[in-house]
Amino acid sequence: MNIISPLAIDDTLPAELRDLLNSPDGPAFEQALDVMVRQREQRLFRALGQLARDLHNAVRRLGGDLAQDGLPGSVADARQHLQDALEMSAQAAHRSLDFAERMRPQAESLAHNAGEVLEWTNGNDAAAVLAREAVEFAGNCRDGLADMVLAQSWQDLTGQRIKKVASFIGTVESSLLELVRLTGALAGSEAPASVEKVSSQDDADRLLSEFGF
Amino acid sequence: MWRERLDKNMKILVVDDFSTMRRIVRNLLVELGFSNPLIQEADDGESAIAMLRSLPFDLVVTDWNMPNMTGIDLLRAIRAEGALKGLPVLMVTAENNRDQIIAAAQAGVNGYIVKPFTAITLKEKLTKIFERIAASGASA
Repeated sequence: MNIISPLAIDDTLPAELRDLLNSPDGPAFEQALDVMVRQREQRLFRALGQLARDLHNAVRRLGGDLAQDGLPGSVADARQHLQDALEMSAQAAHRSLDFAERMRPQAESLAHNAGEVLEWTNGNDAAAVLAREAVEFAGNCRDGLADMVLAQSWQDLTGQRIKKVASFIGTVESSLLELVRLTGALAGSEAPASVEKVSSQDDADRLLSEFGF
Repeated sequence: MWRERLDKNMKILVVDDFSTMRRIVRNLLVELGFSNPLIQEADDGESAIAMLRSLPFDLVVTDWNMPNMTGIDLLRAIRAEGALKGLPVLMVTAENNRDQIIAAAQAGVNGYIVKPFTAITLKEKLTKIFERIAASGASA
């Protein structure tokens, strides 16, 4: 069973609202409600208008900064830095792999030769002791080299992340330029043909110059 | 026709867009005793499928994330092509992602390894793949 609770007309409500809720006059109630709703709407519209102006100014300032400091250039630089990091880490990984590939056959041949020495020496003469040590060392080398090869996988794992970030930067760059284009259009300049994808530095510069940036 | 049993003279195609990873997989395979000259490399799915069409291979070890044609698309292309569709494919990826594993399984992958992995893990997966192939061949 539902219990309909009485309206909570208590002291915490604003006086205006309390009077309204207590008013027996229907049309007056509706009119007063309309006025309150309109007041709220106007505040919302004013806030939205302010927000739009702020955004517009921020984007205009950004456009000015773009022209002054050449931000698209920095973005391209950032992408290039990431590409460099990718290539340098690949180079370093390849050098480690070169080393492992060079050493592995040497370790194998040491183990093989030491094994042959052990076939014709016996007991604890110096040659046998040395050969056993060599076998153990060669084994450790093989294991260590295998671990080192495996450790180079980080280059692939970090590289994949670097690639993702580079592509994200490209997306941000395109969005930024599109925003500048739209703001230019809103500011009253004639909108240039839509640039689907800004692919080169030249495209970016041309687009920015159309708005005097 | 590809070999149905794991053997050291298998012709293996390693597919990855990172040259370091191709080299690492090759190193691990050599460590397991596979013949270095019989291992070949491709840097994406497109070049891999072209090589598979023109040369005989017994096994494909492929990465997932690659430009042009990804590993899952390569797998689907292999399964869709009469002459290649039974070729064993081992997927190697950086992402231990449930959806990816399910997609790979549904596309008919033979094995799935998450990077980084050791030669021992690689050996276990390869052994399992060829055990399963032998079992299905025997029951058929």
